[in-house]
Amino acid sequence: MIATLGNLFLSGAFVASLAAMIAYALSSAKDNWKLEKISNWLWLTKGLLLTASSGALIWLIMTHQFQYYYVWNYTSLDLETRYLFSAFYGGQEGSFMLWIFCSFIVGLGLIRWTRDPYKAPVMFVMSLTQFFLLSMVVGWDLNVTQIGASPFRTIADEMPNAPFILANPGFVPADGTGLNDLLKSPWMMIHPPIIFVGFAMMTVPFAFAIASLWTKRYNEWIRPALPWTLSANLSLLTAIFLGGYWAYETLSFGGYWAWDPVENASLVPWLLGTAGIHAMIIQRKSRRAHKAALFFAILSYCAIIYQTFLTRSGVLADQSVHSFVDLGLYGQLLTFILVMTIMGVGFYLYRYKELPSPEKESDFLSKEFMTFTGAILLFILGFVIIIGTSSPIIGRFFVDNPTPPDIQFYNVWSMPIAMVMAIATVIGQYLFWQKHTWESLAGVLVWPLLFTSVASVLSIILGDVTNLYYMVYIFTAWFAVFGNGTVLLHLIRKNPKLVGGTVTHIGFGALLLGIIASSVYTVPLLDQEMERYNQRIMAGDVFDDEGFPVTQRVDMFQLELNRPKLINNRYMVTYEGYELSDSPRPGQQYYVLRFVPIDGSQTFYMRPVVYPMLTSSTPDNIEWSVDPHVRTGWTSDIYLYVAGSRYVERRNNELERSRERSAGMGDSDPSEEDDIRKIEIKQGETIAAGPFSFTFIDFRPAGEEAVPENTQIGIRSLIRVEHTPSGSAYEIEPLFAVYTEGDRSFIYSPPLDIDAWEMSVLFTSIHPESDSIELTVFGLDEDFEEDWILVVAEKKPFVSVVWLGTFLLMTGFSISIIRHWRREKKMKE
Amino acid sequence: MKPKLIFGIIAIVGFTSLLMYNFGNSISTYVNFEEADGRQISHVIGTWDNTQAHGFSRETLQFTFHMKDQDGNVRRVVYPRPKPNNFEQATQLVVVGEMRNNVFHANEMLMKCPSKYNDPSQLEFVNAEES
Repeated sequence: MIATLGNLFLSGAFVASLAAMIAYALSSAKDNWKLEKISNWLWLTKGLLLTASSGALIWLIMTHQFQYYYVWNYTSLDLETRYLFSAFYGGQEGSFMLWIFCSFIVGLGLIRWTRDPYKAPVMFVMSLTQFFLLSMVVGWDLNVTQIGASPFRTIADEMPNAPFILANPGFVPADGTGLNDLLKSPWMMIHPPIIFVGFAMMTVPFAFAIASLWTKRYNEWIRPALPWTLSANLSLLTAIFLGGYWAYETLSFGGYWAWDPVENASLVPWLLGTAGIHAMIIQRKSRRAHKAALFFAILSYCAIIYQTFLTRSGVLADQSVHSFVDLGLYGQLLTFILVMTIMGVGFYLYRYKELPSPEKESDFLSKEFMTFTGAILLFILGFVIIIGTSSPIIGRFFVDNPTPPDIQFYNVWSMPIAMVMAIATVIGQYLFWQKHTWESLAGVLVWPLLFTSVASVLSIILGDVTNLYYMVYIFTAWFAVFGNGTVLLHLIRKNPKLVGGTVTHIGFGALLLGIIASSVYTVPLLDQEMERYNQRIMAGDVFDDEGFPVTQRVDMFQLELNRPKLINNRYMVTYEGYELSDSPRPGQQYYVLRFVPIDGSQTFYMRPVVYPMLTSSTPDNIEWSVDPHVRTGWTSDIYLYVAGSRYVERRNNELERSRERSAGMGDSDPSEEDDIRKIEIKQGETIAAGPFSFTFIDFRPAGEEAVPENTQIGIRSLIRVEHTPSGSAYEIEPLFAVYTEGDRSFIYSPPLDIDAWEMSVLFTSIHPESDSIELTVFGLDEDFEEDWILVVAEKKPFVSVVWLGTFLLMTGFSISIIRHWRREKKMKE
Repeated sequence: MKPKLIFGIIAIVGFTSLLMYNFGNSISTYVNFEEADGRQISHVIGTWDNTQAHGFSRETLQFTFHMKDQDGNVRRVVYPRPKPNNFEQATQLVVVGEMRNNVFHANEMLMKCPSKYNDPSQLEFVNAEES
């Protein structure tokens, strides 16, 4: 019922978006004000229908209606309410709906604030994109072809030929398969909505660009479009930051950035959008660069759809850790990107001759030229990343079956571009606020250059930088910080409202510094044994079981319970055991590692987690996942996770045994039960049993309170039990007593447990004739090994500076948004 | 105007060709184990050959297993990290590394797991409920 309504609403929204699109087109073609009013109502109708439909989907999720594929596929009964809500956009269909919803809200803002003549054409473009996005989820079956995949389809619709559906078409699973464990994170709740707010707002400059080409009014569109573009960029930047932080903090990807296609998918529109902002600023200030501003506004939205196409059409399925499930939308997505690109670029070329162009070229040393250079550099960087990400498509021109490019491709190209950018930001910022000649520029740059040199030399010495290329890179990054920093000081004195751009550029410099420090100078944490082992590997002296030389470094180390190791000559690290917990995930282990810095600074603890993945584990097979612990510091972070442990190994062995048993391979295993061992031992003697040794040191008197009434003999023995391989030992004093009850005598020998070894020891007899005693030991495991863990850890310097740079970028954008928005409002009044 | 335009075109063409040349070098094609011999970095697609011994050695700190590529060649693969968590489930493995002495030294390993989204057999683990 609810689903039928939801589907109906969705179809209604689709039709309404088509109607709104036509109405807006007519009203802008005929300049009909009344028609525009109607179109606005259509827009509102479409939005309300979509909201109702989203509500229906959320309702189905919240009430666990597992006959619906989306609900079954992404949720389960045990999912917490907040994750139930975020499961709404956990899948491809729901995330489209969230995107459409965000665009709807943005559209309301546009209706409210945009003035004619742009309003109708802008809204036409908005409706057009809505029409395409809605077509992805409307789920119409037109016999010849299927349009979109509805989130309201049932399991029977999805898998009509599955045996259980054929047997019982009304089949309803009792529970869903659940949200992927990696997505059960608070970050999941905010990261996607912010992305889609950014995507939705990035439609606005595109819409304005088309509107200005349509109305042939090429000047004024910049003013309303600029704050929108800035806001879109701020959203995308925030989303990129959250994604990077999420990957770093809770997923074991090893870092905040991996040039993964999906990461690139949000970076490229941001770079092109930023290029657009540069061009718009020139146009606003100097009435130049109309062509560039239009071009970048069109391109940045095309980049969004193109990257959506790459990640959602299944093209990248083999290459990315988080591309979406292929829903068979390839054709529709391709149409979407082609229509948008052809409309945008085609219209642009059609009007190209008419576009205003400056009468004379800008000088090299002018704010126009420098700002334009910034735009071009951002564009080039975006272009390089697009080429790399498109390897499944473009790579076919080179080889069959192309692999993704080596990560080095991105690094090799982005580094020099970033270096040129860093220098350009300083010169650009100086010229932006004041006219300069080469001489005057050299004059004002003396101090910043001096500071830059000092800071670079210090960084190179302290950071032990030996690579010349990195030295130059560090110099340019410091130059961006100090050069723009000097401009900032001037501006604060003159007019603090104008500092947005300058703060952004300082943030860029800081980001460059943080990136090189945290990526190139990351070192693995290793004990001395592993360091020596790696040196021997490099020398070719290590051979594996079959006599082949080992050639790869091994960057992990092993810790045994309570046996400290010296790591990187800096920390004494002790593994203090693990704690099993059922919250929030059943069966997860918290490992505790104590770090004692040998320079005497504060002791600290690291608590990495290993947990079974709920969604992909079955009763006879567990898939383990790790949750690293990151210790954040001002100068460096320690990133650590447990790659293996005795607990996990034992659980896996148990599961394997039970699998073999159920497969009938091994019969019942009786050896586990008869693990009782009797040991006869003389005073002072040591007897080995499996990996353990028992030493009978001495007799001890037994206290009155420990023995039963009517005790004739009561004595304790002092026994030392040692685990020979690890050397850890316990001293215990088991009791032996003989007491009488009535006229019979009984022996009393209570067991003493050694919990860590799951062993209990009893003092069961005294043999005066041989001067020895008898111990009975339960749970003596011949294969026993001391608890151990395998640790992978890295020390990453100055990740904090990466975040600092990002925050400065965000702050700068925010300041600019407020300034431009206020000015727009004032102009209106 | 003219010399500027020519210069611009040369710059764009030069940059793009350099970029594409470098891009062409930084991607490679998926190969089988025989072709991987003598190459520096190879990407090989295949499946785990579970008839032979596999496991993580705590002495050499390497995970060793045998993999059958798409053309049926079986080679030993060593991977200097613990066994990846979802190794046994993987329907397809991609190993990235170098072939030396007929042993493939993987630096990277990607696992393609049966998508639970498309595998209806998964449903049978869920308690069926008549409705």
